Amino acid sequence: MPANVFLNFLFLLIYRHGSKHIAVFLISTLVVMLFSSVMLLSHAVEEDIKVSLAAQPDFIVQKIHAGKAVDIPMEWADEIRSIRGVSVALPRVYGSYFYTPNSHYFTIVGIDPFDKQISTSLEALLQETDLRSFLSEDQMIIGQGVKAQLDQHRYFDHYLFKAPNRTKVRVGIYKSFPKESSIVSSDMAVMELDLAKRVLGIEEEFSTDIVLFVPNELERDNVREKIILQHDDLRVIEKEELAVAYEQLFNYRGGVFLLLYMIVLVTFVLILYQRYSMISSADKKEIGILRALGWSINAVIKLKIMESLVVGLSAFMLGLLLAYCYVFLLDAPLLSSLFLGHGNLPLDIVFNRSIDFGMLTLLFLFFIMPYVAAVLIPVWRIAITDPVEAMK
Amino acid sequence: MIHIEHLNKVYNENAANAYTALHDINLHIRPAETVVLKGVSGSGKSTLLSIIATLIKPSSGELVVDGEQIAKLPDTHASHFRNAHIGFIFQAFNLFDELSVKDNIALPLIVTGMSQKSIDEKVQQAMKIAHISHKQDQSVQNLSGGEKQRCAIARALVHEPKIILCDEPTANLDRENSLKFIETLKQFKALGKTVVIATHDPLFDGLESVDRTIVIENGKITSS
Repeated sequence: MPANVFLNFLFLLIYRHGSKHIAVFLISTLVVMLFSSVMLLSHAVEEDIKVSLAAQPDFIVQKIHAGKAVDIPMEWADEIRSIRGVSVALPRVYGSYFYTPNSHYFTIVGIDPFDKQISTSLEALLQETDLRSFLSEDQMIIGQGVKAQLDQHRYFDHYLFKAPNRTKVRVGIYKSFPKESSIVSSDMAVMELDLAKRVLGIEEEFSTDIVLFVPNELERDNVREKIILQHDDLRVIEKEELAVAYEQLFNYRGGVFLLLYMIVLVTFVLILYQRYSMISSADKKEIGILRALGWSINAVIKLKIMESLVVGLSAFMLGLLLAYCYVFLLDAPLLSSLFLGHGNLPLDIVFNRSIDFGMLTLLFLFFIMPYVAAVLIPVWRIAITDPVEAMK
Repeated sequence: MIHIEHLNKVYNENAANAYTALHDINLHIRPAETVVLKGVSGSGKSTLLSIIATLIKPSSGELVVDGEQIAKLPDTHASHFRNAHIGFIFQAFNLFDELSVKDNIALPLIVTGMSQKSIDEKVQQAMKIAHISHKQDQSVQNLSGGEKQRCAIARALVHEPKIILCDEPTANLDRENSLKFIETLKQFKALGKTVVIATHDPLFDGLESVDRTIVIENGKITSS
């Protein structure tokens, strides 16, 4: 049969049967939107973390006292730098500051603007910054999460940090990270090294840890051993360990969502099954009429499958489009808090528009297969019965 | 045109509730002949019509239509045969209520491989014969019984079958529309169609356009 004649009839039938399909269409759209929103969101987060991790140093060295990380003498960075294979070793000032008004933690990051930075994102940020103006007074560059918190309490141009020695440190807000910057930078307040030490109460000759870069992967185990030989009270954290920590955090949340997926998927299949297996007498009659008019079983099945495929595909495309808008244009309100959590700061970020087409294909197959099966089986069952019986 | 020999139909064969609907039917209908199958409800006339239309298969016996043995045709061939040779007018019209008149009439042609243009032409022609052109864009659910009947007639004619089968065609019509249908029989004759009508309506008794009346009782032909 000519494709256009068949398609004309197919679309005419779908149009005429609009009310019959609308409930399944809406439920399907909602299910696809929910599934793909989580998928798009989790992929965007994963990508973001990958980028953040890629910019992290190869090792972080901490001094341990009684099982607790304590400040480390800055001069140890010079000792570590002398180990063969280490290209850069920098003392880092990095710590949490408890923001009492909202009971959240900010991450204070101290930097030496004239030195190599520990992350490429900081490097890029400083390149866009007028250092003379930034360093002219005590100032900081803050992440979007920090900005939202400070704005809430009208700290638009400065904030008074309460240092551990009970003094107050007034720090101006120089600018904020762009919304497109990584999730990790959301809770950061980046400031000059000595200023950060004052805020965190770290002595002048000390830093919180030392970060190092070892370009040759084969050297890393050696470097690790040599560091531990130098000082036995050091803990050396590899970048891969950070990756695992992040992965575990999001896998746990991914697991919760996977469980929800399964519940939604099963419900969806049940709805479909109920909708199509209890095929109405009008549907039966339609199939019977077509068969009586000379339509073969194959032609009837083809028509019914195509009918539900068009509805299913439209629902899939619309669901996907809505999910894209929800995640990338609206920044996934509600879902982002559920997925990323805001044990620390509520995230106010823009997700990078990266799509995992493999996952979308998988979602498509998981969606469309039960959909088609739920239609095919009852239609086939009726199509093979006598048309006379079906028309009754 | 239609040869039936020793044809039997048993429903629920080999089951406890087996029921013989047709018993040793022998019948020969010539081309362009108009035959009325008369009988009370449950006599087997509709079953015979359905077997001729290849909608159901006989349990045994021979059925040759237009030189083709069709008693045991597999589904694809039976559908093709039906689509090529049979126009069926049902008692309940069996139309798609949501579709328009012309879309209903086009239904048998969609699977024939015709172009949309040819389909439109044939539909127009069939509507003209059935006097339903003026309602072509109306939804079937808004038609009267007589109009639905005319729509069903047009659909039965649209693919130009040689055989028209009518199952209780006047059962759902008032007297006026029933008489109109009887008038249509003359048109079928003029078009050279072989017509088989299963009915118990006395309106068909002694009609000039009816060549023969066959009486079926309890699944057997008692008079032909």
